Amino acid sequence: MSKELHVIGKASRKVGVMQKVSGQTVYAGDISLPRMLYCKILRSIHPYARIKSIDSREAEALPGVMAVMNGKDSPKKFGIMLRRGDDEVLAIDKTRFVGDSVAAVAALDEETAEEALKLIHVDYEVLEPVMSIAEGTVPPNGEPIHDYAELGNIHKRVSLEFGEMEAGFAKADLIQEDIFYYEGNTHLAMEEHATVAHYEADGKLTIWSSTQNPHYLHKAVANVFDMPPSRIRIIAPPTGGGFGGKVDPLNHEMVVSKLSMMTGRPVKITLTREEVFYAHRGRHPVLMKVKTGVKKDGSITAMDFKSFLDGGGYGSLGVATVYYTGALQTVTYNIPNYKFQGARIVTNKPPCGPKRGHGTPQPRFAVEVQLDKIAEKLGINPLDIRLNHLTRPFTKTANHLSITTTGLRECIEAVEKRSNFREQYGNLPLGKGLGLACGSYITGAGFPIYWNEMPHSGVQIQIDRGGGVTVFCGSTDIGQGSDSVLAYIVAEELGVTVDDISIVTADTSLTPVDLGSYSSRVTLMTGNAAIDAARKLRTLLFETAAKEFGVPLESLDARDNVVFCPENENCSISFPDLVVKAESEHGTLGSVGSYAPPPSTLGGKYKGAGVGPTPAYTYSAAVVLVDVDLETAELKVEKIWIAHDVGKAINPLLVQGQVEGSVYMGLGEAMMEEQVFRRGLHKTPSLLDYKSPTFLETPDIETILIETNDPNGPYGAKEAGQGPLLPIMPAVANAVYDAVGVRIDEIPIHPQKIFKAMRDKEKGKEGRYGPKGVPEIPFPDPIRVESQWGQRADQESSR
Amino acid sequence: MRYEAPDSLDAATELLSSEPGVSRILAGGTDLLVQMHAGMTEPDLIVDIKKIPDLRAIVAEDSGFRIGAAVTGAEMGEHRELKSAWPGVVEAVELIGSTQIQGRATPGGNLCNASPAADSVPAMVAAGATVTVVGTEGTREIPVQEICTGPGQTSLKKGEIVVSFKLPARPSRSGDAYLRMTPRTEMDIAVVGVGVNLTMDQEGNCIDARVAIGAVAPTVLLVPEAAAALIGTKVDESALAELASAASAACRPIDDKRGTKKYRIKVAGVLAKRAAKIAVERAGQSL
Repeated sequence: MSKELHVIGKASRKVGVMQKVSGQTVYAGDISLPRMLYCKILRSIHPYARIKSIDSREAEALPGVMAVMNGKDSPKKFGIMLRRGDDEVLAIDKTRFVGDSVAAVAALDEETAEEALKLIHVDYEVLEPVMSIAEGTVPPNGEPIHDYAELGNIHKRVSLEFGEMEAGFAKADLIQEDIFYYEGNTHLAMEEHATVAHYEADGKLTIWSSTQNPHYLHKAVANVFDMPPSRIRIIAPPTGGGFGGKVDPLNHEMVVSKLSMMTGRPVKITLTREEVFYAHRGRHPVLMKVKTGVKKDGSITAMDFKSFLDGGGYGSLGVATVYYTGALQTVTYNIPNYKFQGARIVTNKPPCGPKRGHGTPQPRFAVEVQLDKIAEKLGINPLDIRLNHLTRPFTKTANHLSITTTGLRECIEAVEKRSNFREQYGNLPLGKGLGLACGSYITGAGFPIYWNEMPHSGVQIQIDRGGGVTVFCGSTDIGQGSDSVLAYIVAEELGVTVDDISIVTADTSLTPVDLGSYSSRVTLMTGNAAIDAARKLRTLLFETAAKEFGVPLESLDARDNVVFCPENENCSISFPDLVVKAESEHGTLGSVGSYAPPPSTLGGKYKGAGVGPTPAYTYSAAVVLVDVDLETAELKVEKIWIAHDVGKAINPLLVQGQVEGSVYMGLGEAMMEEQVFRRGLHKTPSLLDYKSPTFLETPDIETILIETNDPNGPYGAKEAGQGPLLPIMPAVANAVYDAVGVRIDEIPIHPQKIFKAMRDKEKGKEGRYGPKGVPEIPFPDPIRVESQWGQRADQESSR
Repeated sequence: MRYEAPDSLDAATELLSSEPGVSRILAGGTDLLVQMHAGMTEPDLIVDIKKIPDLRAIVAEDSGFRIGAAVTGAEMGEHRELKSAWPGVVEAVELIGSTQIQGRATPGGNLCNASPAADSVPAMVAAGATVTVVGTEGTREIPVQEICTGPGQTSLKKGEIVVSFKLPARPSRSGDAYLRMTPRTEMDIAVVGVGVNLTMDQEGNCIDARVAIGAVAPTVLLVPEAAAALIGTKVDESALAELASAASAACRPIDDKRGTKKYRIKVAGVLAKRAAKIAVERAGQSL
């Protein structure tokens, strides 16, 4: 259906934003119920220890304490990987990081609950902790942290090979080998996690929680308590930022549920900021070795990529993360032959999991910095080594991923034009530098976390007799604007104004399933489901109008609450009037729509092929201008130009917000954010000590949106929430090199690292700061698959 | 826990000296409240000194200034005469925390919290400031650098309160400056901080100087060798290089997550040099 768009593509106000800026929004932490109890969790003071005994008699006797529990009261494990989950409601026999949960109290108020924690006596047998990739890749001294790990403390190994590696390297004129390290960091969502659970007398459990994934939480809760899902209702109130930190079902959600069952009263927990650092599930620290063969013209003949992930104490989505550190290298530039080996190591630190970009910022940093090194050796401009070897639209990659549209060329050209990169690169005064980097990301994972053939997203629309339209969807607005996307699309399709639409989302009892706010899937998947549902209703309404006016249905249009025939000004009816006529004719008005990614986009058949496919890839390019103080090596980012191929901007203002937010988060990762531990203890679990940029460090950001109208996206739209983060970190590293001639092969890029590299260079040594080697571990024989690089990808529309 | 807000100094010292348990003085609370919230301290008595008029005033005195210990950073920044006479001291106070923090934070609190990285202290030490300390046994006037004895430790006796800072009268053609290095612009703790205060003569020679460095030792260091590198020179490039090496040589830093030893030592020299240039400029001379 091609028609002029009235709502889509226009800058407009975000749904719910007025409530947010006026303080009316009710977050999970604002919820208070009659007779509600407050929960506090006792946390491990040891990075690794066996629990010999827990004595909570004193705590139970404290006036105001209503219940005390430990791991034995709810021993079933769970996790975002569902059956493979290793999360414990409370530690059962071992604690695996400082901050791991040991016992919990429900009391009349928070102070009493806190007081009670001090009266719980835990007898620990302290075990020797594993605190790094290096320590985790040697045979363990004591017992491995988890018994399911493949080898010692190596949780999971992946080994995949596409095409002919030997032949590929044989064709190369230059083989470049580099080692990179990317330190872990955390999400830092403004809202600390909060949950209220209410187990009522009829045996039904309602949970309000700051989660990105009510559906997976629903499944996990049902599993932990062996309850039919029909007795459980999960509601995600508006969430104050997620970035991946609220993807996993988390143990505090289970704890308050259990305590509510034990006491028959609602129980609430609000994590402190320090506890959020322990709940974590943030960016995996990754050590990488990249070997790339190139011809003189810069074309890649083969790439051999190795990654070692520091997983922390539990599994989270880590198995997927390992695959993601290898999956998307092939999507940006032509890589005909490709090998990937990855390993995730269990350590005694807060568990790592998905953070914005999930497993892809680390390899993207490695690839983009290495490309610049290769370009320099070959005497090619960093622009050309990229522009000349871009993947083509509607082709497949070596690892069988199907690319639909790509606007990477337009992105690179756009940032080049604004920054004047071609002329300026290499020619700025000492201390000033420009860096270029690109990236690509998925618009929604092609597969759900558990195998099923049902829709990934469902939307239901109901119209009331006054002309009001209510849209129901399981999607979860974590600030990115997913409620707005639903409203804009339904407003567009039905011809009503956004203000006439009510949105009901993220409630497992009221809304059809949407899998959740992860993998940048929501705009594309709920958007397509919303179009599906809205067009069914539109047809119903237009049938009535067409009959009324005696005109063909196709001649009708709708906008601003009026359905009309553009060719005949006498044919016009207000939306509420039409609704009355339509309901009289058809009965109650409502419709449902659903979406699942088209089979043509689902990638290969080999083991591990499930990570990487998506209905559409987005592309981004960024140029960063930095200033490095020649004496103190202080690093300032002065300007960023970023272009993002968003397919089609549903609301350009919100897309720009997502792009700028990505840039800001990327700068934090590039320049200062890191998880630091000493003797097993997180050194900086607070907003003061964990350094993240403020707006004072955030430079002018020039955002350019490129529209490629992807056939699989709603109105052509692709994601914007994660992809634009990817080029920032390598662009900063590349800019530092242009400024002062040193390579910082490690994130974050602290002034001290630049300082050290500059000093080394002055002394005639290599001007580089970064890791020197990777562990030697036995990888399984690779799964060998034929490369599909360059093959034609089917152009099959999802609708 | 008891909270008291006396309106006289006598009452405050009496409360503090007679408390058998742990007592803490509350000024802006930007350190104390954070420490209490983190469970690092649980005082039995908190004495809020903001109601004591003497502690809340900035007055001109003997051609210098007396600044109450509980004056806020923002109030110092808004005091035009003070800012024009002692720009280095004021800019140091205006680097504490953030704009919001400076609405509460006080020079007295910044000093008595005894952090080696406190921003206002190197500038005060370089300025040659003294503090008036009042206790039940009387009043003493001591140099600022004699208050802190180590991280979190002071020479104050039980019941003693730092009442005010005295910035001395200074000759014309004097200038001061404070520079610090932090990874983040605001809400950060100095990796190194350097205060320089100097006086030039009509011929452009430096006739007096004081240099103080923070965050490179257990307490702020007054470095006479660094000052000596400036005195008697025209503060030219070679004098600045001498200053930088003297400043670096005085540092005894630790390695921590905010900076390695080598890095801090080098940056201390660089900042000393840069602060000296600004101070000379402020002294009304050109290089």
